[in-house]
Amino acid sequence: MTETTFNEINANLPARNVLESLHAVIDPELGLDIVSLGMVYVVSVVGGVVNIEMTLTTPGCPLHASIEADVKHVLGQVPGVDEVSVELVWDPPWTPDSMSDTAKSTLGFW
Amino acid sequence: MPRLGADGAPPFLPIGTLLAGALALLAGGAVLLPNAAVLAGPVNSPTMVALVHVFTLGFVGLIFAGTLQQLPAVMFVTKLAWPRLGYVTTPLLVLGSAAVVTGFARGFAPTWLQWGAIGTSLAWLLLLAQLVATALRRWPKDAGSHALILSVVFLAFTVIAGFLLASARTTLSVASVVGYPVKLHLTLGLFGAFMLGIVGSGQKLLSMFALSKGGGQWRVRAAIYLVAAALVAESVQAFLRVQLGPLPTLLLAAGGLMQLVEVYAIHKRRLRKKLEAPIERYVLAHLFMPVAGLLVLFGQPAAAGAAFLVGFIGLAVSGMLVKITSFLVWTAVFANAKTGGVSGGAPLLRDLMRDELEPVTTWSLTGGALLLCATFVTHQPALAYAAASLLLVGAASQFVQVVHVVSTTVLAGRRLARDAAAVTAQEAS
Repeated sequence: MTETTFNEINANLPARNVLESLHAVIDPELGLDIVSLGMVYVVSVVGGVVNIEMTLTTPGCPLHASIEADVKHVLGQVPGVDEVSVELVWDPPWTPDSMSDTAKSTLGFW
Repeated sequence: MPRLGADGAPPFLPIGTLLAGALALLAGGAVLLPNAAVLAGPVNSPTMVALVHVFTLGFVGLIFAGTLQQLPAVMFVTKLAWPRLGYVTTPLLVLGSAAVVTGFARGFAPTWLQWGAIGTSLAWLLLLAQLVATALRRWPKDAGSHALILSVVFLAFTVIAGFLLASARTTLSVASVVGYPVKLHLTLGLFGAFMLGIVGSGQKLLSMFALSKGGGQWRVRAAIYLVAAALVAESVQAFLRVQLGPLPTLLLAAGGLMQLVEVYAIHKRRLRKKLEAPIERYVLAHLFMPVAGLLVLFGQPAAAGAAFLVGFIGLAVSGMLVKITSFLVWTAVFANAKTGGVSGGAPLLRDLMRDELEPVTTWSLTGGALLLCATFVTHQPALAYAAASLLLVGAASQFVQVVHVVSTTVLAGRRLARDAAAVTAQEAS
């Protein structure tokens, strides 16, 4: 599974808590959250500004705008978060190996 | 006049085009049922040719056109050039296709055929220009994208060849130069346009929906080269009057085999164990390719054509129609919703479908296609009526499904927006 990198300069807003909040963001096609799917690469917190580096299952995924908006919507409700930016990256590319074992099992993987 | 160059295609353009395609199949099925006896008669009767063009131009053509308003952006990972072009192309395609069908139904009426062919040719040339302009923004390197681009090139050639056929009926000078290349028109449409379109888009979409590591790019490239070589051979036969025997057929069979093996490879390497019903229908469609091949071997070209067009192309397009409509309408409603996506209460894509309709669509269309083949072999009217009945049931079920997907999503979006507004109003008070 993807190991998320944390960068934080705000003891009151731990990056791990931000990652936990992202469990609420669900991929509408797969029906699983983006953390379990292994899409979140980096969570950076500087003051009240949160930057998320993440990927999607495929470049050009038509759901990119909605997932990005959902990340901003969810993190916007976290106390202490003033601003959220989302950066989509394709390196390393997402593979099914990025998922948690639970996610693999839910999707009925071989 | 809409601004053709403005960013962001209005979502109702591709969605409306897809719905029009599904409606065309339903209308064709409704007209076919009381006239099903034509299936047991000659394949080149006016009603029969009109019905074939309802299927090719109306159903497959419109869904192809609707898909081209979204898919290239996904496949080429760039923005669609001229996203509002659908304002021009969709009405042209609908009116042009209706004119072509009317022309055939009226006993090959040349004026209707020519005007219809002009409309559809213009629309497909514009869609080709849009596709190339989009590709030039970020030229794709994968074989699937190349197959998609080439399929639209061949589709434009197909409708232009249709225009030449219509002109050859009325103008002796045209007929003396181009002859009457019906076989080239058929091969261009069935293999160059539709099969390569399925090869190109399927390589990306099937891998995406099945979470597969993908197949071999070389097979897709081989399919492209084999189909292109077959079309060159057909052109040589049509225009230079040089007989090449079974060469074009063998090349097409080899190209089809590449696609069959490619889909098998993607399917085998998939990581998602249980595929969604529309994707299963897309995969099932490919079993009609060997059926068509066997019918050719047994000297049944009309039945082979039915297996290829209605069985393979029809089922594949039907499967992707439901998935693509779900994606398009969901992103249109929820992409920028203030309520957020699924976290804010938006439904999952799989929840947009009525599950019970999918087996009805799949097995009615499959049974209808098989009975259609049997009708062309035996010329039995009873089989023709059974085939027409099943095809109508499949077309109706598919239409209800796509309308349900659209209406469910739109209503869910409105409900969430209303709830959000109520919460905001409550907080304000």
